[in-house]
Amino acid sequence: MDPSNDANSLGKLMRAAQDGDSAAYLRLLQALAPLLRQTVRQRRKFLQPCDVEDLVQDILLSLHTVRATYDPARPFLPWIMTIAHHRLADGSRRQMRRAANEILVAEYPETFPDDSTNRGETTYGDPEALHRAIGRLPNGQRRAIEMLKLREMSLKEAAAASGMSVTALKVAAHRGMNNLRKSLSVEA
Amino acid sequence: METSRLIHQLADGTRPVRRLPAPWRRVEIWLAISLPYVALVVAAHSMGMPVDLAKLLSERQFVVEELATLLTAVAAATAAFCSVVPGYDRRVLLLPLPPLAVWLLSLGAGCVNDWVRRGAGGLELHADWSCLPPAAFIGIVPMLVLVVMLRRGAPLYPRATLALAALAVAALGNLGLRVYHVGDASIVVLVWHFGAVVVLSLVAGWIGRRLLTWKTAGNTTAS
Repeated sequence: MDPSNDANSLGKLMRAAQDGDSAAYLRLLQALAPLLRQTVRQRRKFLQPCDVEDLVQDILLSLHTVRATYDPARPFLPWIMTIAHHRLADGSRRQMRRAANEILVAEYPETFPDDSTNRGETTYGDPEALHRAIGRLPNGQRRAIEMLKLREMSLKEAAAASGMSVTALKVAAHRGMNNLRKSLSVEA
Repeated sequence: METSRLIHQLADGTRPVRRLPAPWRRVEIWLAISLPYVALVVAAHSMGMPVDLAKLLSERQFVVEELATLLTAVAAATAAFCSVVPGYDRRVLLLPLPPLAVWLLSLGAGCVNDWVRRGAGGLELHADWSCLPPAAFIGIVPMLVLVVMLRRGAPLYPRATLALAALAVAALGNLGLRVYHVGDASIVVLVWHFGAVVVLSLVAGWIGRRLLTWKTAGNTTAS
């Protein structure tokens, strides 16, 4: 078909679409989709097919939103190509913004800023030193640590077994942990 | 979603749309609303301050300045309306530059005349803060009308479009304000009036992308 006739017929279809003719609109959009696909492929040669299709859909949606701006007295192709050009530019801007804010990594280099959370491998301390440190704890703290941390008893069970109150157990376990941390760091 | 499905969805939901009138026709509509409003604000503000319009119109400097201001407003509004219609040459955005240059030159010539006539005193700058409320008030309706009208178009150059809209509104407001600021030295008009026009246009251009955006897919399929 002669390109000028083709453009004229597209303009006529657009005019009918503006008047509410959905069949004409369907024909217009179906005729435009390959044209737009070709334009996007030519201007964005590096894009994957799915990204090309996203842009084509974006242009079609934009056409739909601003279809009232088409003046049947003016040529149709410059109208749709201006929309396509601007949507392509907007798409590039979006992609650049996304690329500027994204860092692709194979694995997360760190979890939290603290050094202890970023060790390459999990290391275990010396169990003997731990036993010795627990043995050096005052009686109440040692019992609290043994029941709550080593035997993993609940506060209720430990309170029943030891005859201590839940609050006293919590305090003893907290102080015991602090003392263990201190004595282990001194030994290390 | 597949493109063919999207096409069917768009075509199925289509309804008749009201075509946008040509840009110059839209300028006429905008002026038909804005000019009476500006005249009303000027009349309200100049109550008790008689304005001798016949005398003003006999002054060449005043006439050239007012004509250039009016042409700047019309050209900027035309360019703004053209900028939201796909297919226009983007050079249309430069349309207000010639009348803007004439306006600026007439103010510059006025400054030189004041300097020649009154010496350094002719270039003395003073602030007239009582003028600020009417200056702000005079632009409200023209700006609102213009933004509402522009939002019906395609936001191809949102920043330039809104900067042009602000230029049109500020020029139109200046057209009215000059009627009762006739005694002002050109330097006052240049700095305060023209400066405000430039600042307004820059601020409007800065927020352009927020005010003029492409509608989302959700809105489009529903319309």
